[in-house]
Amino acid sequence: MNKIKSFVTKLLRGILNDEDKRELIEILTLSLQEKVDDLVEAGTPVEEAIARSLSEFGTSTDVLKAFPETEKQKRMSSRHHLNNFIFALCSYVIICSLAVFINYSFLGFFQTFWWAGIVGIATLFWPLAMFYVYLKAKR
Amino acid sequence: MINSDVIRGHIDAIILKLLLEKDMYGYELVSEIKERTHNKFAIKEATLYSVVQRLEQRELIDSYMGEKSLGRKRRYYRVTAFGRAYYQEAIREWRLLNEIMVSMLGSDVS
Repeated sequence: MNKIKSFVTKLLRGILNDEDKRELIEILTLSLQEKVDDLVEAGTPVEEAIARSLSEFGTSTDVLKAFPETEKQKRMSSRHHLNNFIFALCSYVIICSLAVFINYSFLGFFQTFWWAGIVGIATLFWPLAMFYVYLKAKR
Repeated sequence: MINSDVIRGHIDAIILKLLLEKDMYGYELVSEIKERTHNKFAIKEATLYSVVQRLEQRELIDSYMGEKSLGRKRRYYRVTAFGRAYYQEAIREWRLLNEIMVSMLGSDVS
């Protein structure tokens, strides 16, 4: 039972709200256990029955298919984060280009050292953070 | 084999229909669907059990603990009055959809 429950808990990590998840973990665990019991009753060894039940069960994407609204929200959220990442990347390129342009176009203090590189490194956190958030939402 | 995405909009009605015939536990529902469709309908158990939970949340079905198996009790599901009404509505919708498809595709589908 513990093996099944930990499989289900891991499967639902990062999806649905806590209340729905608690109830769903209970139902999925029980249903999987019922399958294992049926297989064992039909003569399958316990370990084999558990392994077969878990492998045939499906993924978190299959769980989300039962909740069209949540699935849609997840897709929208992923698209929203992708847009944020693209916006951050474009802004980063514009800021860096402007810094390089100023660096090489003006005389005096601005040309004494390559400070555009510092601007580039300093603002790199923005697209990187957005990319990380996007990957997290996608996963 | 038909993909679950095609039939997803009707899975609620399928489960209600099976439970109207008799009370069943989760894996029994899966086995019954596989048997009746001769494995042509590929729905993952993760999806089906989650649909069952959603139907219970919407009070279309309810559950009770039934007979024991290997020392454990099974959770059986049954249709509520609200679920019966919902099923009748789903059947009406299906008939309408069927009518539309037949009138659009004509002899190709009959």
